Amino acid sequence: MDASIQQQLIADLLVESFEGLDRYDHELLQIESGTAGADSLNVIFRVIHTIKGTAGCLGLSHIQRVAHTGENLLDLLRSGGISASPEMISALLKLSDALRSMLRSLEASGSEGDADHSPLISLLDRLQEPLGAVEPIVPAPVASPASSVVQSQCAEPIPATSAPGADAGFGFFDDDLAPVQMPEPLFPAPVPTPAPFPEAAAPSAGSGAGAAAGSPAASVSAGAPPAENAGRSNAEDSAIRVDVAHLDRLMNLVGELVLARNQILQKAGVVQDPTLLSTAQRLNVITTELQEGVMKTRMQPIGNVWTRFPRIVRDVSAELGKKVRLYMEGRETELDRTIIEAIKDPLIHIVRNAIDHGIESPERRVAAGKPEEGALVLRAYHEGGQVIIEIADDGAGINAEKVRARALRDGRITPEQAARMPDREAFNLVFLPGLSTAEKITNVSGRGVGMDVVKTNIERIGGSIELLSELGSGTTLRIKIPLTLAIIPALIVTSGGERFAIPQVSLVELVRIDTAGEGRGIESLYGAPVYRLRERLLPLAMLDRELGIVPAEAATPGSETGSNLIVLQADGRQFGLVVDEINDTQEIVVKPLSKIFRSLTCYAGATIMGDGRVALILDVLGLAQRAAVLSDATAQAAAVDPNRAASVLANREKLLLIEAGGGSRLAIPLSSVDRLEEFERSRFEWSGGRQVIQYRGGILPLVPLNRLVPNLPEPEESSDNAQVVVHSSGGRSVGILVGHVSDIVEEEGSERSAGDGSGLLGSTVIQGRVVDLFDPTRLHLSAH
Amino acid sequence: MKLLIVDDSRTMRSILASYARPLGFTVTEAVDGKDALEQIARHQPFDAVLIDWDMPVMNGIELLRILRSNPTYANWKLMMVTAQSSMSAVTAAVEMGANDYLMKPLTEEMFQDKMRCLELVA
Repeated sequence: MDASIQQQLIADLLVESFEGLDRYDHELLQIESGTAGADSLNVIFRVIHTIKGTAGCLGLSHIQRVAHTGENLLDLLRSGGISASPEMISALLKLSDALRSMLRSLEASGSEGDADHSPLISLLDRLQEPLGAVEPIVPAPVASPASSVVQSQCAEPIPATSAPGADAGFGFFDDDLAPVQMPEPLFPAPVPTPAPFPEAAAPSAGSGAGAAAGSPAASVSAGAPPAENAGRSNAEDSAIRVDVAHLDRLMNLVGELVLARNQILQKAGVVQDPTLLSTAQRLNVITTELQEGVMKTRMQPIGNVWTRFPRIVRDVSAELGKKVRLYMEGRETELDRTIIEAIKDPLIHIVRNAIDHGIESPERRVAAGKPEEGALVLRAYHEGGQVIIEIADDGAGINAEKVRARALRDGRITPEQAARMPDREAFNLVFLPGLSTAEKITNVSGRGVGMDVVKTNIERIGGSIELLSELGSGTTLRIKIPLTLAIIPALIVTSGGERFAIPQVSLVELVRIDTAGEGRGIESLYGAPVYRLRERLLPLAMLDRELGIVPAEAATPGSETGSNLIVLQADGRQFGLVVDEINDTQEIVVKPLSKIFRSLTCYAGATIMGDGRVALILDVLGLAQRAAVLSDATAQAAAVDPNRAASVLANREKLLLIEAGGGSRLAIPLSSVDRLEEFERSRFEWSGGRQVIQYRGGILPLVPLNRLVPNLPEPEESSDNAQVVVHSSGGRSVGILVGHVSDIVEEEGSERSAGDGSGLLGSTVIQGRVVDLFDPTRLHLSAH
Repeated sequence: MKLLIVDDSRTMRSILASYARPLGFTVTEAVDGKDALEQIARHQPFDAVLIDWDMPVMNGIELLRILRSNPTYANWKLMMVTAQSSMSAVTAAVEMGANDYLMKPLTEEMFQDKMRCLELVA
């Protein structure tokens, strides 16, 4: 949006909000004096609701957050969940004061100001607890500040202190935690009066709750299971609440420290001063530990979020008349707290959806031959530097055909795309915004409303989400969240004289391509460079050329003499990146690139190296897309399926047809044949236990074909002359003694079958007969 | 393309209008459900109506119900504008015949995206 329009909208917001808040105060005071009209609560609710909504749209997150907490309380008041008390009125008046002060700051300075409103938020949150309204399931923990009636929230920033979706069954956990979360200095030791909130002092809600069941401290120790409680309160005593902004700042500083350490270590290595060296080593160790420590403060087990799920599952399934059993695996898996916050609401939404649209009613399950009770599995684990979270159900699955039809009707895909699209891709159409319309919700057993919101939220934190489903047997949503923390291990490489960092996460292996001679290095497939790595074709990208450090036409693929190949993984596929030099692995501090460079998808950021110079961090996926090593259909097929790869590579090539004796025929790709020679057997000599022959001023080792290919008969030595296929690679040559060369044929592009891993490339049909293909390039080394 | 924005907040109406005008919409505003019905009587037809959830006098769900019960408006795209807090409310609205929904806080991109989904803009 245009900046001037934004300015105008903020001006509108200010005027409307000030007006609204005046009305709000007025109505609130009328409620207090008992002269309020029937609509008063609706009016004040709407004022706060509007401020929250408009502030949110204009990116005013502080105002939005404070208003949101007030809105929750007012919603409860309005729906009759709780009734207004004098201290509630004064808290609500404080709310309008706080909002006014932020609006004034916005008016004066253009920012919401950085006043800390967390005490107010805590107070408003705490007032939402139903006073004395004891839920029957849990008898004692009455003072539960969080056993609330709050509705679940989706994808909305929730103040850390609120506990939406908390419940009686698990409420007392939140209960226990609540004091820990208070930002104000608290009194950890059991205090006689429950007044941990200075501003809620006098006849506060705390004492109101206390009146119902004694002091919170007392009620907690009486009510919760003793062992659990003991453990917990100890933990509370030793825990303090820290503003996340502080942790972020610390993290940033540690990042800087890591940079400084790297510089000093490098210096120490050059100077060769033993004292400096040992000091530097110590600095190194301490920095590493500090870094781990700070990172740990930000980590939380995912189980913290999951504690709410049993209740959600129970409620939602009861509401829908379904039977669902919840299994949770890997609840100890740790994630950065910011990430936990961000995935909380999407997870809840997915779980609700799974029960609503995934798992069938008991009758339908029985009819389908499944157990009456559906299973819902939450699973979390670390994999390759990422955290994987899976939500799997054994429900009806998604009908890919219906999704395709729907997307087609909406014009999201073309008929051709629809026809070509594999089910797996079709499922992921449900993430398209707007594919969630009425028809879809009611007719398709898909996950409709808001999956686009879920996806957006996951992607916002750099994650990805995919959906796997099998009609009739269930659906799995897999969320991958990269641990893109501020400091990552990376491989430093050089290309075209510049240094680059490659995040270790995407690294698969390093390969040295030895192209001392010609040939057996980088090959060309339909003009694209590829490399054969263990029976598989790897599409290649030349870093210097992709980044334009050297002009693209400067060299032809394959002419490098001795290249370094980095096998990388992006989007589930692999490709090779050719660089000049591989330097080192290092912990690097990720510095985001300035906005101007954001559109350069090849780079994920920048870092400062030990010598103070800047190196760009490569974005592996972006780079792969740029080089088209993942999208190019041929390369893709090649990378995925080695057998197909071989056939694609070799299709329609010319083959040398050999009668190997005993009726066996064999074909050798002509491309791997250097020369065909006919030698007199009398010229054969023995050297080093091998048959050799003097050939073109050198010694050519000779290998009988039946030594290379199993199950071939001994070559017939009927004639005095032997036919020899000379194959060269890497500057060396070998002569293969073949029986009799019968023909040169062109393969008709028929499919080849896979080889068995010996010297055979596979089989093909030539002139109506099955012929084994033999590839000398594979056996070159063993021949030596 | 004619768009009716129904919202009791002036700021919210301005925000939505500022998103809609560059897409070529002619915007009419209404401050609540009842006002919306009057605006419709005066200025119809509309291609799309954006309806806020919670409004005085006549709320959005009521307006939605009225519009959807009248076949005259069958081809109009009706979108509920809601806070993100209640997914079940959104589901209910969609079941009542809303074509789609917009969630606050929303961005201009989200708005454009939804308009494209509803084929109101190319």
